[in-house]
Amino acid sequence: MDFELTDEQQLIRDAVREFAEAEVVPIAAEIDRDHRFPYELLPKLAEMNLMGMPYPEKLGGAATDYVSYVIAVEEISRACASTGIILSAHTSLATWPIYKFGTETQRERYLPDMASGRRLGAFALTEPAAGTDAAAGTATATLHADGYALNGSKMFITNAPYAEVYIVFAKTDPERGARGMSAFIVEKDSPGFSVGEAEHKLGIRGSSTPPVYFADCRIPREALLGEEGEGFKIAMQTLDGGRIGVSAQALGIAQAALDAAIAYAKERVQFGKPIASLQAIQWMIADMATEVDAARLLVYRAASCVDNGRPYSTEGAMAKLFASETATKVAGKAIQIHGGYGYIESYPVERNYRDAKITELYEGTSEVQRMVISRSALR
Amino acid sequence: MRIVVAYKWACDPEEATVHADGTVDWSRAKPGLSTYDPVAIELARQFADGTGAELIGVTVGGKGVATPIAAKTALGRGLDRVVIVEDESLAYAGRSELAAVLAEVIWHIGDVDVVVTGDSSVDVAAKMVPTVLAGALSWPAVAEVTSLSGQAGALRVERAIPGGVQVLEVSGPAVLAASADAAVPRVPGMKDLLAAARKPVELIELAALKLPVQGAVMTVTGRSRPERKAREGQLIDTSDPDKAAAELVTALRQAGAL
Repeated sequence: MDFELTDEQQLIRDAVREFAEAEVVPIAAEIDRDHRFPYELLPKLAEMNLMGMPYPEKLGGAATDYVSYVIAVEEISRACASTGIILSAHTSLATWPIYKFGTETQRERYLPDMASGRRLGAFALTEPAAGTDAAAGTATATLHADGYALNGSKMFITNAPYAEVYIVFAKTDPERGARGMSAFIVEKDSPGFSVGEAEHKLGIRGSSTPPVYFADCRIPREALLGEEGEGFKIAMQTLDGGRIGVSAQALGIAQAALDAAIAYAKERVQFGKPIASLQAIQWMIADMATEVDAARLLVYRAASCVDNGRPYSTEGAMAKLFASETATKVAGKAIQIHGGYGYIESYPVERNYRDAKITELYEGTSEVQRMVISRSALR
Repeated sequence: MRIVVAYKWACDPEEATVHADGTVDWSRAKPGLSTYDPVAIELARQFADGTGAELIGVTVGGKGVATPIAAKTALGRGLDRVVIVEDESLAYAGRSELAAVLAEVIWHIGDVDVVVTGDSSVDVAAKMVPTVLAGALSWPAVAEVTSLSGQAGALRVERAIPGGVQVLEVSGPAVLAASADAAVPRVPGMKDLLAAARKPVELIELAALKLPVQGAVMTVTGRSRPERKAREGQLIDTSDPDKAAAELVTALRQAGAL
């Protein structure tokens, strides 16, 4: 078993890190402070071929392996967790369902622009009364002569309103519950589609997450993704992969917090010596480094399952559960090591702490991951 | 047109550990493309894109310079192909020897119109190889190059000089050392990095090159550090500024500083 990265994976890690240092780090604090979507980064991410890494070149992607993709999400998130989720949600949640379930026409129509980064995507599943219980969604899609009419609302939609392509889940047969849910590709300029005001969040403040509304929103028949009634399955399979992206985001946040804690511990002098010489600090850092490395192994293992065509639902859940809880824990300890300085905005570690929490919540809460894992373990 | 970029695969001294006895531990230093070589590659790449020239990377050195990761790292930055001489005897070779090997590789490639190098190497920073290489090739050498345009046999070179910019027209092949800020290296995209594995890598055996017989051999036989002078720590009472100033001047004269 070889735990080393391949040459390409190392090169990709180094290049994305260099890009992140040059383009993302300089604006990370500002977009967090101002709750600003970093729109100017999108063409730069596209130029680096980061917006559709695992997709074939003929469809606009970079044809990298999945491990390389999660490494890229990790490195971007290490610089800025908001930019990390913009990238991950677009690639894993919006582009993937079209790649996996789309007709040839849909793939040709959307993937070249999405995988190359020319058009941004979003995933609209969550509703005000349907989060973890996604099957309880009440948005409907009614078939008419000229297409479908969508009605309802979705909330916390990452990348709205900047996204041009939305994967929307709505009930074509409300009586059948989850089995009555269908998936649709909705373009931003569809009549009846609108976007609400972005939420002000605890963390990932540069990621835009407003509600979206469908008021007799008219879309063509060809907008149906997969078959009617397949929507819930499409959503769950998409989230299986999406949570690997979120686990990579959490890993990046944890690594950033650990790096900051180590740097601070070496510089901060108390009682005549750096606090890094104190056993209390050394043991905290030892635990943090071990937890981050364990998270990394789980994240890369889940990505490796995707590359090798093996099932990854349980592995992805384990990676997301562990990496997200590690990010929160490590970021908290990083603040502890910083002492009072960890509590002020001029030290990035407070942003790591605020950004970390969402990774335990979205794309399936930690409780959902535990459900997935226990179901597999108890089979 | 053919452009060669001579690059170095070396460890960054910032990553090495210097022990109290002066010995250096390189074990934690990861080798990589020398810091200013991406600038040289970018400058040459822009010129090659404008002229349709072929851009060839050349490196010579000890163990490691011919590893796939070393070649791919350089190729990923925009080179069309690389030619490498890897030999353990080159690991600690002097500037003249390295330049002689580079010159032979350039003759081997043939029809080279210009050689571009980085400002200096990350590990030695002697700034000598471009000039010694030019001497070995009997070509002119230009340092601090900030801009390159024109065509084969009619190169237009701008270089930084104190107080301004000098413009040169070079009528034949030359060795140009790019200044450290001549260009902003582009970060390779994902497609560039994957394509690097498919680009040609030519390995040349050192023994196959006709090298000039080296003259005198230099060996480092010792090194020492200047003696550390203990700090005297003389305190001057500044409550009376005039008196304090006089005392300070006296103390500085006694210390030989004035």
